[in-house]
Amino acid sequence: MTAEPLDILLTFARLGLVSFGGANLPEIERVLVEQKGWITPQLLANGFALGQVMPGPNMLAMTHYGFAAGGWLGAFAATLGFYGPTALLSAAAMTAWQRLSRWRWLPALRSALLPFGAGVLLAGVLVLARGSIHSWTGALIAAASFALLWRTRLNAAVIVVGAAVLGAVLRL
Amino acid sequence: MSAPTTPAASAATPTTHPAPPTPAGLLRLFVGVALVGIGGGLPAHTRRALNARGWMTDAEFAEAYTLAQLTPGPNAVNLAAMIGARLLGGMGAALSVVGILTPGLIAMLTVTAVTLGLPGGLPSGVQSGLRGAACAALGVMLTAALPVLKVTAGIRFGPTLAIITFLLLAALRADLLLVLAGTVIVGLIIHRPRSGE
Repeated sequence: MTAEPLDILLTFARLGLVSFGGANLPEIERVLVEQKGWITPQLLANGFALGQVMPGPNMLAMTHYGFAAGGWLGAFAATLGFYGPTALLSAAAMTAWQRLSRWRWLPALRSALLPFGAGVLLAGVLVLARGSIHSWTGALIAAASFALLWRTRLNAAVIVVGAAVLGAVLRL
Repeated sequence: MSAPTTPAASAATPTTHPAPPTPAGLLRLFVGVALVGIGGGLPAHTRRALNARGWMTDAEFAEAYTLAQLTPGPNAVNLAAMIGARLLGGMGAALSVVGILTPGLIAMLTVTAVTLGLPGGLPSGVQSGLRGAACAALGVMLTAALPVLKVTAGIRFGPTLAIITFLLLAALRADLLLVLAGTVIVGLIIHRPRSGE
């Protein structure tokens, strides 16, 4: 099954525009897994994990999902769709920022958006947990990674690669 | 970083004359940020690179960073677009985004083409490794969520609205835009600017 490049472009553009403060995993799962059926929960988790060890932004997972949906063209459509419109919007927002910074509703808007972002993040953790934790061993690896990142200054990529080796050895 | 500086002070007393940002320089800066940013922390690397070149003060960077949190989309890429736009206009924004995406895009496309192109799916050893990596990625995501949760905890009714958002999205699978609209309207009413403030 190969999806239309234009469909992929528009779908990923929408996903980018409804992401605040990072990745909007609940919506990504709802659209790509449930609605479109382009990827499986396993592929969602795989792509997210791969994104952690790539140079640059972690959400390059979108390129992985786009490839699964429509091959090379799909990968480019997904990348362009996810990053293009939001980058354009950001550049425009920067040029308007000097006026916006004196706007008296701005602190209120920030206080209103942050709890929403926090709720989305929590729901994203749940989505990811459902896709990646299938055993007590997996839960232990997740908890240990969290503890290591929280308590030490270890690089996240090192921890993810270490967990990959552990997973392969343990036949997770 | 050694002394508290204001934008005015740091602009008035430049210790060295930094070379002005060029299109090629901006592209190189963000390719470099992407390469050292494996495993996250891109905004911190961006700030360090800008400081080293003297292209932006800390105050200007903080402003761009706050704005990047408020606009939709991946923060690190938004930040690159904003810094590029501020330094060199539209072309600067485009080059910064291309720069920060290119290294990872090449790496991700290579890995993806190999792993997804395999007939009969992934070998079980590779799939086991990816499962392990996915579990660790969950830990990474939790640590990335901590600062946002901490700031939210300090907002009036912040925790309540965050939990309601979580329940609506995770348990009831509600439409995201409706939840966004609802949360923002309630938040704006709670935090509306009072006269005299």
